[in-house]
Amino acid sequence: MDFSFTEKEEAFRNEVREFLAEHHDSEGVRADGADIESAMDKLPKLLAWNQALYEKGWVGFSWPREFGGSGGGIVEQMILKQECGDARAPILGLSYMGLAWVGPGIIQYGTDAQKKRFIPPILKAEEHWCTGYSEPGSGSDLASLQCRAERDGDDYVINGQKIWTSLAMWAQWMILLVRTDPTASKHLGISCLLVPMDSEGLEVRPIKAMNGETPFAEVFFDNVRVPVENRLGAEGQGWDVTKHALANERSSIAEVTALHHNLDDLKSMAGECRLNGKPAIEDAGIRQRLARMQSTIEAMRLNGLRFLTKQLRGEPIGAETSVNKLLRTEMDVETGRLACDMQGGHGVLTGKSPGAVQGGRWQKNSLSWPTTVIGGGTPNIQRNVIAERLLGLPHDS
Amino acid sequence: MDFGFSEEQEQLRRQVRRFADERCPMDRVRELMDSDDAFDKQMWASMAELGWLGLAVPEQAGGLGLNWEDVVVVAEELGRSLLPSPFLAVTTAARAVDLLGSEAQKAELLAPLAEGTSVVTLAFFEDSDVIDPDGVATTATADGDGWLTLSGTKMFVPWGQSADKLLLVAREADGLSVFAVDSAAEGLTVEPLQLIDTTCRAARVSLDSVRVAADSRLGAAGQAWPLLSRALDAGLVALCAEMVGAADGSLQLTTEFAKVRQQFGSPIGRFQGVKHRLAEIYVATESARSLTYYASWAVDHLDDAASSVAMAKEWAAEALDRAGEEGVQLHGAIGYTWECDAHLYYKRGRLCRNLMGSPDYQRERLLAAQGL
Ligand SMILES: Cc1cc2nc3c(=O)[nH]c(=O)nc-3n(C[C@H](O)[C@H](O)[C@H](O)COP(=O)(O)OP(=O)(O)OC[C@H]3O[C@@H](n4cnc5c(N)ncnc54)[C@H](O)[C@@H]3O)c2cc1C
Repeated sequence: MDFSFTEKEEAFRNEVREFLAEHHDSEGVRADGADIESAMDKLPKLLAWNQALYEKGWVGFSWPREFGGSGGGIVEQMILKQECGDARAPILGLSYMGLAWVGPGIIQYGTDAQKKRFIPPILKAEEHWCTGYSEPGSGSDLASLQCRAERDGDDYVINGQKIWTSLAMWAQWMILLVRTDPTASKHLGISCLLVPMDSEGLEVRPIKAMNGETPFAEVFFDNVRVPVENRLGAEGQGWDVTKHALANERSSIAEVTALHHNLDDLKSMAGECRLNGKPAIEDAGIRQRLARMQSTIEAMRLNGLRFLTKQLRGEPIGAETSVNKLLRTEMDVETGRLACDMQGGHGVLTGKSPGAVQGGRWQKNSLSWPTTVIGGGTPNIQRNVIAERLLGLPHDS
Repeated sequence: MDFGFSEEQEQLRRQVRRFADERCPMDRVRELMDSDDAFDKQMWASMAELGWLGLAVPEQAGGLGLNWEDVVVVAEELGRSLLPSPFLAVTTAARAVDLLGSEAQKAELLAPLAEGTSVVTLAFFEDSDVIDPDGVATTATADGDGWLTLSGTKMFVPWGQSADKLLLVAREADGLSVFAVDSAAEGLTVEPLQLIDTTCRAARVSLDSVRVAADSRLGAAGQAWPLLSRALDAGLVALCAEMVGAADGSLQLTTEFAKVRQQFGSPIGRFQGVKHRLAEIYVATESARSLTYYASWAVDHLDDAASSVAMAKEWAAEALDRAGEEGVQLHGAIGYTWECDAHLYYKRGRLCRNLMGSPDYQRERLLAAQGL
């Protein structure tokens, strides 16, 4: 074992720190607690941040140079994320889904023309993407999806519905899974299309969530036409493209810096809040839970480093990443609950209330965990993945 | 950046696993646990020959001069097979001698330890069963020129009944000291404890005015704690590795059972009430593994590894406890029988959970270490 960094890696860390000193004004845009509305207020600053990153080649840090990335290694990428996280800098590029899985999917499966067309606007945050996978009848069992696309000359004609499409109202493009061959087996009849959100016949109906925000939408397709050249991968290859995309999502979820910030904030809040007549930090139950949170975050960090080492050694990593996803889901629910518990009676006050603690940040937090807990595969599905792929237990369907 | 084991370490792991499979399969584990001292001297001699007893002992003192990571590799595999032996006891004692002893004391104590001819164990705990210097009430008082007298009662002395040398921790005017004492010394009584897990052994050691020479003291009078606490932490990491190995062993046993036991026309491993619990054990075990491996590096490389060690113990104890308990439960009634191996892992879990501080205690320790 060796937890040191090479001289080159340390030099890179310094470069990141210099960059942050120059381009990240910590008063301006903080990564944590950013809901959609406040993110919109901060848009000009965020775009300037993206531009500076882009010029540095750090938006698609690990992407090949020919597409505007840096071709950076995974250790450097980790350093970059760590340093930005420590400085509470904004996310490394604003085209969130474009960067997380659309871009990597296009780099792996796309034609040259698609790469030229789609990659630069993702890096420059000029185009935003949404993900049209889930349907009313197809959630965990995604491969049962029914939204149809039929070939008509040089076009596909799409009919059907998607749901839970995050950011559908802001995105210019959608990565869409459709059934192109109803006669083929469940997984083989699916194709992946890249669809402009201003297409004729495409309608977006926002859905309000339990935290009061409107993070996602239903999307209806009524004879929506897209040219065949907008297909990503071969016809019938849509499932492979998606598997690749979701693998990217799982690895991107393993970020722990933000969790550390939450923990630090909870620790200092524990010194300030009074519970049962004494500071919350003196309460034995609260102490146990804080310590548990810390060791869980440390476990996630170290699990992540073990996966990273496997990658560095050229070994495949697959289902293991579900381990951190499961730890993460527990943490995300517990964070808000613990914070509100520490506030005692004040724990019920939302941001707009007189007497609200920290602007109601933690109440909002405890109404927002489904994003990570349900989005991208529920805990039960992660448990299935571990039991079936890692322990070799029989499939339940 | 490399958070994995080297090819040599993987070879060592394979070697230990093969050894345990051949020399100490479950039948043999059961024979030993039912025997008087659970101590297979021939097996011990072979373990010494393979170099395992002196893995982290410096080369000039007769060891291999490797790292605590290597100790953890061996401990994990021994835990997986539940192989009864004083491996942890002597390894921890060796660490204490290496940290505290003079060159002469190291030469005297460590060479026979590594050769397997001397079983040395550290007697630290008393009524207090956690890594806390204030819990040591045993006293060492000057008794004429160059002599001291030790009085007190030591509890949970690992494999004390098999040891010929004890490292006794006692309080002097300025603080804690460690004395290397023959187990046959006059006034020293060793009583076996009856543990919940009979694959492990421990003793109570009563000291009734035991006279020891001042030159049996390791290090300066009353100054042992900073280094002694490091030895205890290292020992705790090795215990964590045993727990991780045992958790994995239990998970494997139960998973294989779930693949073959049929009810309602299907292997029970198809039911999520079964498979999801096994998945959760996998998550807990892998996480405990990561924390333990890191802690094994930390005790060699960081000035203060206590927080890393505390987190490893918290998770390892909970992973094994869960693996052991679910192991019994998911086997059904057969899991409650003496014949099924599930209870052996469960008992190991119940033993290790409370040794050297429960998970609750480790969480307190973690916060206290941050001044909270
Ligand atoms: C905030 C948020 C954002 C999202 N964003 C997007 C997006 O941008 N694009 C997109 O396509 N989708 C998105 N989703 C949808 C998400 O991927 C699905 O919600 C998720 O896959 C679960 O599907 P479902 O909601 O239909 O639940 P279901 O699949 O109906 O599951 C309901 C319950 O049953 C359990 N369950 C289902 N099958 C099994 C099984 N085999 N074994 C045991 N338990 C089972 C689940 O764990 C869950 O608890 C988002 C969801 C949320 C909450």
